[in-house]
Amino acid sequence: MTEGHIEEQRKEKARRKKSRLPMLAQAGPVSIWMILFVTIPLLFIIYISFMTRGPFGGVVYKFSLESYKTLLDPIYFTVILKSLRVALFTTLLCLLLGYPFAYYIAKQPAERASKLIMLLMIPFWTNSMIRLNSWMLFFQTAGPVNNVLLKLGLIQKPIMFLYTDPLVMLGLVTGMLPFAVLPMYSSIEKLQKNLLEASADLGAGPSLTFRKVTLPLTMPGIVSAIILVFIPSLGTYTVTDMLGGGKVLYIGNIIKNQFGSIRNWPLGAALSVLLLAITALLIFLYTRFAHVDELEVV
Amino acid sequence: MKKMMAIGLAAVTAATLLAGCGGSSSASKAETGAAAESTSETAAAKQAEGGDASKELNIYMWSDDISEDLVSNFEKENDCKVNFTYMSDNADAINQLTAGAGDKYDLVMTCDAYMESLIKGGYLEKLDTSKIPNAEKNMNKTYWREDIRDYCMPYLMNYIYVVYNKDTCPIEITSYNDLINPKLKGQIGSVDGARNLFPIALVALGYDPNSTDEKEIKEAYEWLQKYNENVAAYGSTEQNLVNGTISVMLAYDGNTKWAMDQMGDKNSLVIAPFKKDPVQLGMDLYVIPKGAKHQDLAYKFLDYIADADVMAKNLDEYPYSCPNDAAVEAASDEYKNSPAFNFDYKDNIFFQKDVGDALTIYDKYYQMLKVKAQ
Repeated sequence: MTEGHIEEQRKEKARRKKSRLPMLAQAGPVSIWMILFVTIPLLFIIYISFMTRGPFGGVVYKFSLESYKTLLDPIYFTVILKSLRVALFTTLLCLLLGYPFAYYIAKQPAERASKLIMLLMIPFWTNSMIRLNSWMLFFQTAGPVNNVLLKLGLIQKPIMFLYTDPLVMLGLVTGMLPFAVLPMYSSIEKLQKNLLEASADLGAGPSLTFRKVTLPLTMPGIVSAIILVFIPSLGTYTVTDMLGGGKVLYIGNIIKNQFGSIRNWPLGAALSVLLLAITALLIFLYTRFAHVDELEVV
Repeated sequence: MKKMMAIGLAAVTAATLLAGCGGSSSASKAETGAAAESTSETAAAKQAEGGDASKELNIYMWSDDISEDLVSNFEKENDCKVNFTYMSDNADAINQLTAGAGDKYDLVMTCDAYMESLIKGGYLEKLDTSKIPNAEKNMNKTYWREDIRDYCMPYLMNYIYVVYNKDTCPIEITSYNDLINPKLKGQIGSVDGARNLFPIALVALGYDPNSTDEKEIKEAYEWLQKYNENVAAYGSTEQNLVNGTISVMLAYDGNTKWAMDQMGDKNSLVIAPFKKDPVQLGMDLYVIPKGAKHQDLAYKFLDYIADADVMAKNLDEYPYSCPNDAAVEAASDEYKNSPAFNFDYKDNIFFQKDVGDALTIYDKYYQMLKVKAQ
């Protein structure tokens, strides 16, 4: 090793040290925040899931696999399947409705596009409980929808909209749609027009161009949309409780009950860990399947 | 453009996260009142800020449950400040107490269904009832249950009974077993939660409503499967009873009062004239958490609100059922004559008692009930 080499290495080290400060300043606060409020609580949940339910409903810090044994009960399998089905259906609907909408916005002049996105956001200026309650008032037996239909003579007696699956879907999809539209919009907006022209020049029709050019190039946005919609839908329970009448339990309900009225924190924690594992697995599969290296996060 | 979208997405995420906290609660007051978890101080309390720490009383309870005027009177009389922290679910109070609430609170409101565990676990101070003579004098001893009397003072209470619309309900309901009549399919709005539903089924089957026998709980589960067929929705359903979506409700008296008030002169809701079955009665109690710092003031507060006239004023503002007989006597006629609180089998009651570990058995069958529903 020559003298020059050593000198260079020393300089390199100094440079690295120097560059650490701005990095710490930039990423430090967020990292500390995430470690304090995400990582540590998450580790604690995993820890609790291996503990024992105390005789008075508290957590006794004694190692036990009891909670995970309980999870083997087929009932949880059924619940998870149900929750997955609802999340999947919501995600599909959000993609089907969101993609054309995102495409439309992306093709508008910048000013109009930002107005359209604003419109998409306005419902989110209120709390979701208020939105859900207004859906209920809107669709109840003596509500405006039924009244209008009755007045127009389209129906003879009020339709029972409340507590039906379509209304639950409506609630879920309207709640999740912006999460689907925004990343897809961002992807579509980046799509270069000359690529589409080239495709057309080479003889591809609109449908072939869409399948071979547009869709693959906007895939990062689609995958982001899937992840952003699917994960919250999987754990949701307020929408299904309120609009669905609370007759069916989803995984979110069961976790909530364990930490609430039933006071079985270890089981609640084990269920949360299971939910985390399922989510992680699905994200892994999505990214592998879609060959996405870089996700579009707006 | 991008910046705006990023802000937008952040706003959406924040809104969704916040919404997650406002889940539906199975508790009576959370359903009737707008109960959000928050800390607040009364106006008088703010004035007294910076005062002597011993002249401070910290209470953890439901919001919309106590008159602010009465609290400020108490503050003036005792030259102290009262701080309230509000809960949004019964489980919150239990979580506070089992985590050692004495550091933070001098009084905590909880319900009777967890009392035995709280006593056995050593989370509560034993009360010296000689320090609350008003309670000794005014409180109905049936409601101030002997087995837990040494550790709590009841405040308000709630019946869970059957109410129906006599014009639209297809049958007359005189027992819990009438609720599983197939003619009521899709007609019932019901309270939710394992510990609210199973006692009804156990009583219908002739068992102890607080049974810990798995065989009996399993039978109750089978009964509830039939009941579930008739239920349109769980949760707070009084709105639907008023607008005619459903015709029967198993609900708290507070929610029923709201529904009856909404219907006004056209009220066709009646409390089911039960012949034999007892009705479920839940208590909101005050307890002093172990090691509470301002116990003298806590006793003074308990004695103050157990006074007949004080509690009567509170009942006019927050009309719920009340175990304080003298206060009910002193309350306004409007309160006393409210149809939601008047039915002739009021004394035929059962309590939700602490079932300890059997809670997990109830939970198992409750989950089966809801998972196999469809």
